[in-house]
Amino acid sequence: MPNEIILETQNLRREFGALVAVDNVSLKVKAGSLHSIIGPNGAGKTTFFNLLSGNIPPTAGRVLLRGKDITSLPLHKTAHLGIGRSFQITNIFPTLTVLENIRLAAQALGKDSFRLFRSYRAFPKYETRAWEVMEQVGLVNEALLPARTLPHGAQRKLELGMILAPDPEILLLDEPTAGMASEQVPELMALIQRIQEAGHKTVMLVEHNMNVVMSVSDTITVMHHGAVLAEGSPAEISANEMVQTAYLGHLYEDTAVTP
Amino acid sequence: MQSTLANRTAEKTSLADWWKANRGLLGLLILLIAFPFLLALSEGQSIGDVLANEAGNAKFMQGLLIEVFILAIYALSYDLILGVTGLLSFGHAMFFAAGAYFTGIAFKNLGWGAGQTLLGLVVVAVVQALLFGVVLPRVKGITFALVTLGLASVFHIVVQSTEMSEWTGADVGLQGVIAPEWLNTNTARFQLYLLTLLATFLVYLIYRRFVDSPTGRVCIAIRENEGRALMLGYNTFLFKLVALVVASLTAVLAGFFHTIHQPIVSPNVASLGWTVSALLIILIGGVGTLSGALVGAAVFRLLEFFLDRWFGNAANFLLGAVYVTIVLFLPYGIVGTWRLRSLDMAKGRARLMKLLGLGKKETGD
Repeated sequence: MPNEIILETQNLRREFGALVAVDNVSLKVKAGSLHSIIGPNGAGKTTFFNLLSGNIPPTAGRVLLRGKDITSLPLHKTAHLGIGRSFQITNIFPTLTVLENIRLAAQALGKDSFRLFRSYRAFPKYETRAWEVMEQVGLVNEALLPARTLPHGAQRKLELGMILAPDPEILLLDEPTAGMASEQVPELMALIQRIQEAGHKTVMLVEHNMNVVMSVSDTITVMHHGAVLAEGSPAEISANEMVQTAYLGHLYEDTAVTP
Repeated sequence: MQSTLANRTAEKTSLADWWKANRGLLGLLILLIAFPFLLALSEGQSIGDVLANEAGNAKFMQGLLIEVFILAIYALSYDLILGVTGLLSFGHAMFFAAGAYFTGIAFKNLGWGAGQTLLGLVVVAVVQALLFGVVLPRVKGITFALVTLGLASVFHIVVQSTEMSEWTGADVGLQGVIAPEWLNTNTARFQLYLLTLLATFLVYLIYRRFVDSPTGRVCIAIRENEGRALMLGYNTFLFKLVALVVASLTAVLAGFFHTIHQPIVSPNVASLGWTVSALLIILIGGVGTLSGALVGAAVFRLLEFFLDRWFGNAANFLLGAVYVTIVLFLPYGIVGTWRLRSLDMAKGRARLMKLLGLGKKETGD
């Protein structure tokens, strides 16, 4: 179904003391689209993501998945609903091999995790899946290396692989290119786009670098000081004066006097 | 490349491969079974003397090794929760002591047989693991350590209290336990030796399998990065609870053998010192390696015994010196360092100098 709304937030709000990190954000994400959230540093993008994935509870508001309220669900249950989430800071199992990192991710949604006294080798489907994913993200040659020994760019790919392994419908990617050498960025973005188009997945992407998302996004939401500043297609966003001002810093200066 | 690697890692191991991979372990088992006989023969006793449990050095050394086996089972259980799952518990002695006391009370006060007692121990093990589990979702890291320390301290105080003296013998300890004939450490020493030896190997093999199972792999993932495991969709609380239950079942088994072998239960086995013993053993052997618990238990007990025999009062001082040396030169324990092939004398010397305040400031480690 095209244009079906898969993920929706209603007046989502999160306060940290006096700071309103996310200010009544209502957002609709279309199924199968690549929806980017951009905004300057401190705009509340990551907090908004944490609310979506259930890492932190909202002060007010709701998160709906296909119309069903998932706001207060325990963290480990969101993955079972087909939501995979990556982090801005690389978040992997450092001493385990790349293969084992992804195999564990694949095993997570299977029904064999409480088999105490059979070898993991008796369940090869997770390992097979891990090899598929490693081929997809280009980590086959690094499969047997401990994850912590990988260079940063490869760790970002591993992070992506760990989300892909259970084949989620929705991917929440928090600055997947963070800390990457700029020449590696287009390659990773192309990979994300390929995954989204080939797998008919819904991808939500947080970025603070506007240029990165312009070419790949279907919809862009611009956040500023916790609230939605603008939303639209990449063309609309790049033509939007308010957005330009936000990025040039004028809005910052205006509000900096009254924090 | 991909398919060959995938085939290799997904290959099922046949029985023949298993024998081949575990040659060393099986050799050790056979050697340990033969050990009392070899020792007896070298001392002029006959094989029949060992089977008849005649007094002598062979019988004595079996007793010492039984203590090693019991310590090994106990340390394995601690390695499962600390080394594999990454739960720092300071109350592990309680897991052992509850088994030891329950066994003593079952034999002495209740007149139970070994089978009935073991069944009772299963209940005890599950109940105490659940008790520790109750606090699991609420506290983490050092707070979990302190809460478990608190729980174990309560247990320690209760078994020492005079109100309980009819059951636990209060601060004197539980005495006058008579183990069933076929398990009696005086009249059936070789049988008990074989039983504890086989139990140790069995527990070790089961643990190795557990660590390799889908569940055990998740436990390792929790040790590595619990938040990530949660995000992947694992209910980490349940996995930690499983690890606690398995460890508790193992520790009460060690306590069971302890009571049979001693055959008294001192309140010391419920103290923090007994938890530290487990910690020390896996530090010596290598945290999270499993086989390190076996090596560590042997080093721990035999060193203590022989240093005491040779040096008397100076033994504790030497023991401390040996432990410090191990920590300085083998920071990953004996097995851990062996596996990593990372014995670095220069680094060890540098650490020693630093400890003594003689070295120059070390940059990094």
